[in-house]
Amino acid sequence: MLLLMAVPLAMTFYFSLQQCALDLELVTVTQTGPFGSQAVVTQRARQDANGKPIERCEFIGFRHYERILGLDNDTTTSAAKNEAPNEFFAALKFTLTYIISTAPLVLAIGLLLALGVQRLSTRWRAVFITSALLPFIVTPVVAALSIKWLFRDNGLIPFLLSKIGVQVFWMAEAWSAQLLIVLYGVWHSVPFAFIVLFAGLQSVPQDSLEAATIDGASKWQRFIYVTLPHLAPLVVFVLLIHVMDAYRVFEPIVVLTQGAFTTSVQYLTYFVLLQENNPFKASAASVLTMAGIAVLLVPLLIKTYREQRGIA
Amino acid sequence: MNFSKRNQVWIVVALAIWLVIASLPVVWTAIISLRSYVDAFANPVKWTAPVTFENYRALWVDREFYKNFVNTAIVTLGTVSISLTVGCLAAYALARYRGALGFWLLLLALVFRALPHSTLLPSFFTMFDALGIRNTYIALIFVLVAINQPFTIWMLRSFFMNIPAELDEAAMVDGCTRFQAFRRVVIPVMWPGIVTTGLFSFLLAYNDFLLSSALTNAEKMTMPAAIANSISAESEALLMQGVAGAVSITLPLIILVVLFQRQIVSGLTQGAVKG
Repeated sequence: MLLLMAVPLAMTFYFSLQQCALDLELVTVTQTGPFGSQAVVTQRARQDANGKPIERCEFIGFRHYERILGLDNDTTTSAAKNEAPNEFFAALKFTLTYIISTAPLVLAIGLLLALGVQRLSTRWRAVFITSALLPFIVTPVVAALSIKWLFRDNGLIPFLLSKIGVQVFWMAEAWSAQLLIVLYGVWHSVPFAFIVLFAGLQSVPQDSLEAATIDGASKWQRFIYVTLPHLAPLVVFVLLIHVMDAYRVFEPIVVLTQGAFTTSVQYLTYFVLLQENNPFKASAASVLTMAGIAVLLVPLLIKTYREQRGIA
Repeated sequence: MNFSKRNQVWIVVALAIWLVIASLPVVWTAIISLRSYVDAFANPVKWTAPVTFENYRALWVDREFYKNFVNTAIVTLGTVSISLTVGCLAAYALARYRGALGFWLLLLALVFRALPHSTLLPSFFTMFDALGIRNTYIALIFVLVAINQPFTIWMLRSFFMNIPAELDEAAMVDGCTRFQAFRRVVIPVMWPGIVTTGLFSFLLAYNDFLLSSALTNAEKMTMPAAIANSISAESEALLMQGVAGAVSITLPLIILVVLFQRQIVSGLTQGAVKG
């Protein structure tokens, strides 16, 4: 009995240590976020070992947040901050636009593909599924680069478009660059939606479908009243995963625009950390990022919680 | 009858169109990687052009891309083996542990799964700098494992849940300790699940760009970070090396999909079906 209880508990404890590593980081983020300025960074690197670097920091309150949110009117801060007054909101705005514009497309295309593949013979199904996996598997940077090369001047797509009289310099304007990022997002996420929904279609209760047919339901009615309700939890699941993944859109932004026209929240942190070389401001950006995802996920988490409770 | 036949044709056409869209970027990149710059980005577009392996030679020999390949191999293998070891122990415990705490830990894992990777970056960045281990494989592997862990635990847990607890109990009645039961009885049954989870850990580590480019310098970079660096410099030779690099990175993945298609599909649907 002791063994049965102790080992899982010890392992759970081990697990908790594992998460602690993460926890610790998160705590550090919140602590260091509002503190310090750039000069402290080098200081830290020198003393390190097992000393506590915090003592060197200067308390500046929420100034980093103010900077990122564009709320500070303090003229003593450097000019760079004034150039981009609303960094975070701009990033958040695009990230949300990206999520909202990709999600319905991903779900719709995924569902249509799943319904279509359902009609194929078993052998062709396997072939289709294997090849449809490709966009999901390919390294995001590579995929974004490939799309960039396709749409580049003298690339394949502009050439084909010019045949029908459309000429767009895809990388040169904000709207087209953003459109490309959305296209990339759809392209990348559809396979996942497709495969999950397809798996769901396999378990649609056949007797309900038959019963519906006997009761005189049309094809369309059967789809609406039997198949769709069955798929609903999976749609929610796909949506949940898609929101999580879309929220961290990053690679296409680096590759397709180099941050020229658009930023995303994840890009913002990366940029502040590596280009402005300011981990503290980056921390503030990442805390805001976390706040953003928290707000986005609250409804979905509550739903998951209720479902889990219902099952348990 | 005739109607449904025509429907069938439309469906096949639609699916084929999607396949073209899905594979076009990759296929076209592969085609132009075998061309010189002039042929690759010609106006009007050339459908056929002389084949050359110059881009690959320049990349692998001159730019010593094999070093990045070795880096990727080290980081990926390290990440996969560590996260599977830790993940198996934790997931097994969670699958067998009945209590409120287990649920909260899983929920926590889900929240961590949702966090964008960059949120962890500032703290890791400063911490590794302070410890002097930034730009080491260990640092990169450590972060990748940390990010990977919530997902690994969720996935492995759902596989462990499929294994009846009676199996461990029988082993323990026969005189195994808990750990022996876990190692000798449960793990062998678990292999398919471990392989699937390992595949996804592999993909995460292999495909990572953000962390590798932020935490490592040129000589320690993994392949994706290395080619992205060569892209921002828009010289023609570098660009073509990037194209060749993109194909070099993708090839192992395609082989992987073909070999492990069933595991990948089951992995993708695992979470969905189990809730």
